[in-house]
Amino acid sequence: MKYSIKYITTIILGGAMLSSCSKTVDVDPSHTVNGDNFFTKVEDFDFALTGAYQRLKLNSLYGGVNGGSVFLCAVDVAADNFYTGANNLGALNTMFRWNYTADGTVPRGAWNAAYSVIQQANLSIRGIDKFRATDELAVNRVEGQARALRAYMHFELLRWWCDNYDRNSTALGIAYVDNFDVEQMPARGTVKETYDKMEADLKAARQMMSNMDKPIQSGTTTQGTGRAYIDTLVVDAMLARMYLYSNQLDSAIKYSSYVIDARPLATPAEFPEIWKDATTKEVVWSIKYQAGEQALAREIYQPAGDLVSWRPVLALLALYDPTDVRTNSYWLNKNSRIILSKYYAKTAATGNPDGIADFKIFRTGEMYLIRAEAYARKGLNAAGLGDLNTLRAARNAATGSESGTALETAIQTERRKELVVEGHRFFDIKRTSRTISRTQNCTSFCSLASGNRAWNLPVPQTEILANPNMIQNPGY
Amino acid sequence: MQMKRLLLLMLVAVAPFLAWAQREVTGRVTDSKNGTPLSGVSVTVKGTRTGTTTNQDGLFRISVPENSVLVFSNVGFADKEVTPTTNSVNVALEQGQGILQEVVVTGYGTVNKKQYTGSVSKIAGTEVNLQPIGSLEQLLQGKAPGLLIQSQSGQPGSAASVTIRGKGSVLGGTQPLYIVDGIQVTAADFQSINPADIENYSVLKDAVSTSQYGSRGANGVIVVTTRRGQNAKTKLNYDFQYGIQAFPKSKLVLMNSKEKLDYEALYDRPDGMNPFGWSQADLDSLSMVRPSWEDAIFRHAKTQQHILSASGGNDKTRFFISGSIFDQEGLVKTTKLRRYTGRVNLDHTSGGFKVGISSTVGVSELSGTDENDNVISTPLNAYRWTLPYITPYLPDGSYNLLDPGGNPNPLPDLFLNTNKNNQLKLIGVVSLEYKFPTIRGLAVRTQWGVDFTDDQNEDYFDKNTQVNQVIPGNAGGFSYGMIRRVRWTGTTSVSYDKKVNDHNFGISLYHETVKRKTTTNGYTGFGLVGPIKNAAGITPGTPTNNFIPTVGGNVNEDALLSYFAIANYDYKNTYFVNLTGRRDGSSRLAAGNKFVNYGGVGLGWAITSERFMDNQKLFNNLKLKVSYGSAGNASIGDSYEALEQFGPTSYNGIGGLTLVNLKKEELSWETRSTANVGLEFAMFNNRLTGSAEVYRSRTNGLYLNRQLSSTNGVTSILTNLGKLQNQGIEIALSYDLVKNRDWTININGNWTANTSKILALDGKEEIISGISINKIGERANSVYMVRYAGVDPDNGDALYYKADGKTITNVYDPNDAVIVGCFDPKGFGGFGTSVRFRDWELSALFTYQYGFDIYNQARVDVENPQYWFSNLSRDILREWQNPGDITDIPSPFNDFQDGTTRFLEKGDFLRFRNVMVSYNLPRTLVSKWKLSSARLFVQGQNLHTWFSFKGYDPEVFTGVLTGAVYPALRTITAGVSIGL
Repeated sequence: MKYSIKYITTIILGGAMLSSCSKTVDVDPSHTVNGDNFFTKVEDFDFALTGAYQRLKLNSLYGGVNGGSVFLCAVDVAADNFYTGANNLGALNTMFRWNYTADGTVPRGAWNAAYSVIQQANLSIRGIDKFRATDELAVNRVEGQARALRAYMHFELLRWWCDNYDRNSTALGIAYVDNFDVEQMPARGTVKETYDKMEADLKAARQMMSNMDKPIQSGTTTQGTGRAYIDTLVVDAMLARMYLYSNQLDSAIKYSSYVIDARPLATPAEFPEIWKDATTKEVVWSIKYQAGEQALAREIYQPAGDLVSWRPVLALLALYDPTDVRTNSYWLNKNSRIILSKYYAKTAATGNPDGIADFKIFRTGEMYLIRAEAYARKGLNAAGLGDLNTLRAARNAATGSESGTALETAIQTERRKELVVEGHRFFDIKRTSRTISRTQNCTSFCSLASGNRAWNLPVPQTEILANPNMIQNPGY
Repeated sequence: MQMKRLLLLMLVAVAPFLAWAQREVTGRVTDSKNGTPLSGVSVTVKGTRTGTTTNQDGLFRISVPENSVLVFSNVGFADKEVTPTTNSVNVALEQGQGILQEVVVTGYGTVNKKQYTGSVSKIAGTEVNLQPIGSLEQLLQGKAPGLLIQSQSGQPGSAASVTIRGKGSVLGGTQPLYIVDGIQVTAADFQSINPADIENYSVLKDAVSTSQYGSRGANGVIVVTTRRGQNAKTKLNYDFQYGIQAFPKSKLVLMNSKEKLDYEALYDRPDGMNPFGWSQADLDSLSMVRPSWEDAIFRHAKTQQHILSASGGNDKTRFFISGSIFDQEGLVKTTKLRRYTGRVNLDHTSGGFKVGISSTVGVSELSGTDENDNVISTPLNAYRWTLPYITPYLPDGSYNLLDPGGNPNPLPDLFLNTNKNNQLKLIGVVSLEYKFPTIRGLAVRTQWGVDFTDDQNEDYFDKNTQVNQVIPGNAGGFSYGMIRRVRWTGTTSVSYDKKVNDHNFGISLYHETVKRKTTTNGYTGFGLVGPIKNAAGITPGTPTNNFIPTVGGNVNEDALLSYFAIANYDYKNTYFVNLTGRRDGSSRLAAGNKFVNYGGVGLGWAITSERFMDNQKLFNNLKLKVSYGSAGNASIGDSYEALEQFGPTSYNGIGGLTLVNLKKEELSWETRSTANVGLEFAMFNNRLTGSAEVYRSRTNGLYLNRQLSSTNGVTSILTNLGKLQNQGIEIALSYDLVKNRDWTININGNWTANTSKILALDGKEEIISGISINKIGERANSVYMVRYAGVDPDNGDALYYKADGKTITNVYDPNDAVIVGCFDPKGFGGFGTSVRFRDWELSALFTYQYGFDIYNQARVDVENPQYWFSNLSRDILREWQNPGDITDIPSPFNDFQDGTTRFLEKGDFLRFRNVMVSYNLPRTLVSKWKLSSARLFVQGQNLHTWFSFKGYDPEVFTGVLTGAVYPALRTITAGVSIGL
């Protein structure tokens, strides 16, 4: 009996000891990585950079539903190109009606999404400097892309939130976040300060990307899968767009020319193929969407189910010449109404359209319009008209002979036709005439006067509450 | 004919017992304490209804069959059984002993209730287990003070929200810890457990009881003990019940065909009048349409259950075995739960050894439908939002997809899609105990158990449904997801008990490890174009067909390592002390912060055991107890919450990483310290029993989302930054109005009032999150909104109160939001009665909750005039149209604001939760059928609910009723319970 007691005691106490070493409470994740010890070589930063590109597909940025697509669909819905359709569940009504409030989900979603991309861009270069000594060319490749991406997202924020786009404006800018530190409480600064940092980032990115370990992508490819990333050509396009907004016309001409020279316009025959993602002819940068992801312009028209949330106004459709190759690429008469078919489907899915298409965020077509506008505003009518007519001809549209104010108006009209639902219309009006009047199919919410607060989105209430340094836009 | 049978049955029920081989026994019954004779004592022959009562002198006379047993019972005294060996029997009854010897189960042990100083409510399994409910935690509603059960869904197998003594956490879990036969099991996961296997439920509420569970105990603990065999003749039991369920009516009434057409045709709105362009002929014919959507979707659902059990044993080995089938149709035609369970519980004693096994296996098949969302394709939304003049089917029998507003017909999604869950649940516990024969009072014990759940979810999306529109390739899809949860609990202990004169003490030292691993895997495939509607029907993906499947998987692991001690001491069985101390280490906290200490102390004083109470008659029992201690809350975030984590993602076919979790080096558990003062009493010869307790608990290190500047790409970080107080009072009373041989009438009830208060927020005054706010000095989860002030008769604008509460404006400004209510109830409880008349029994239970608000999102979606193309609330017919209109519904031209008090409603309700009538068939009849007992019953569940909330049911535990409501059902069942 004595033995058995000893035996049992040993078993029980032994059983307890077996599981009692403190290693029990050290458990590491297996399906995620620990940021504290993961980033040990430059290739590891590549993974984080890929994550930053992926975040461009966040709901509130370009694609998206339920009040998403604020930098794409909403830019046209808030302007004068669309009116409400039969299947509108009201997700973008607040943008159409200009009644956004600081606690609204739509402005908050857009703000948070843009800064989420910035966060991931910053994370993808956090601590990368210590590899510069040994692996400079690879670091250049990663950091160049990250800084360009970060700069461009700040530009997107500036377009919606800042009242004045001039290069040296002292109006409220956008908090420029260039490092990852969740505790910081940045202030908005001025528009000038925002441009200073944006320009510095883009220039630095351009510099770095001219000296890399390997190319990011082919500069000349026209494959449908190409041009998915940011390279020097994309940075040039970003700079051209930025300089147009900031009214630095010579620089706008310079950088748009770089792109125009490197990536010529598509022919009228090639043009429709761009919208089926069969070619990247004249595409500078395209954000890639794949099966299983969100239909890009679902907020306006959802091919699956044939649901029309917003219909184009006749005033817009009437602008296209009958021969214009854009008409059939952008619009479709389906079930006795005209729907936006710009993002209808990729070639493979055209029989069963799902709305999944790449977002061609920079194209050579826009570069011509930037250069034309810059020339025209400088009074170089012939050069401006030349660029405008080159574009018109490439689209099988009638050329013209405008000059002066008529030329500037014609360029804006061409922008409206060429760049519909590419994230421009509201901002184009905001930076030029600053008045919206919806004349057709409009019973209420038909005009937005220049002094209205709604030209700028409100800073989200959550941000105002959290960040004592944040200043709300006037009127909210 | 049926009536005749019923009469016959009733005659049988009251028919006098016919005896044979009788003899007469006489005797006297006295009080054991002082020898005074007791009158009115019920004397019955065990197992029969033969009986009499004692006279004023305590004397009785009764005829009994040979070898029978007499049972003596009286209010306030313990029942006593005597086998008369002679024709004269004198019996002394002991006062209230039955109550005093009641035990409480604390999970790590069983203690005499009198000696325990913690706050524990006990619910016997037999009180509740016949209710036709698939998930056992729902059975406990209204049964114990301090225990709030809110079941929002009537879907078969759905789980309820359980809160003990108020929510001690804002962001962390508020559900209690569940311990079944000594091991931790996953909360809200009881669809595969048979409630009839449960012996009792103990609800641990105060700190001396919950601190035993350390970092897991802060939300209270529900200790579930399953039935075990007895040293008795083998008993076989068969239970059967069958019933039907019905849907309650919604108080949110929508427009009928005529009303909706009038609204479309005659009301002005931004989209213009008559937007569908109806002609007068259209209007006339459509307004006659009366579609029967409810008939198309709902049914009178059947529910049935069979349970077979056997128990018995001898002095060495005891067993309990059971098997059950539970089959419940949901009210929505495609929903159902079918469950099969089996259980074997064994105990064996040999010398100083005791081994025990508890094992159960449950298999359940659940078919569900989406609920609690506001997605338009969800059938439970779609049938309400579709236009009321559109029929479900076309004349040719096909689905009517011609809704001019584009509202989806819910029927294809409901009938063509399937949503199945198959669950396999295993709970197994083995224990080995050894009592040292040489050292009296010393014992060692080890217990190991596993809670294993394997869930397989299968969703089929047909290509002819609304949801297909968002499926890649738009040709149907099939989704499979597996979740496997395994949790090991191993507990090893040494315990020692000693009695020295009037001093009694015991101490147990424990070591415990709990390891959990959750594995998920799943895929979604597309292109279900053939006849096969499962995994086999998936079309392989190619670069061009858009059918590329998505796959995913994850593993979460964590571990808890603990050392603890539980001690008790009493002096003269009058003064009691309970002590616990526990040190928990968790893998989920950052290195250096992993170990946290908890503890509790309880003191008790049995006042009626004092000399000076000997001469009073009022109290049969009076005990005062106080306790103080702490427990933690560990349910927040994922297993690696403290680490900076990057999760997988991809862009353009290239793999990448994105930040998914911020680093939180300082993260620790919430610690809830509770002080408790309680009084237990029994009065008037134990007719009135009850308890009253007051408590105050403080949660330190309250998890809150500390707001960050969203320019950093995140809006907040989980931080232990607040302090929250809950205080309340609990009262439970039970009174025997009548208790004699023929009649027992008992009424009972309980009431709990709880109020919370935010004490600190790390220097901040308030944290606002949407319409909810946590603000210092206010209740947690307060509602924060702009107040709606009606409609301006001149222009139809919605009016709002400014923050000052006086000024009225037509400008909606979020800065005018103020605290307007709270989502958590101020008070709740239950009351009921149980009546026995001879072989008939009736029990009834009412439950109630009050003092809380509900944000009615479901109403928003039918009162928003932008949704004119769907059906709307009938209230919208009062919409402002012309200057001078006095109404509460603004003009459709006015900006619609949903986050105002216009949609906040009171949730108070009183529910007739359960009523049951049962009848024990007389023994003569039963033995003729060679049975040992037989009982028939009929019960009604949720027969009526009194409330004002505009919806189906006010039991909404998140505070927000989103939509797609599947409310608790009215159920009527009848059954039989037969002992073989």
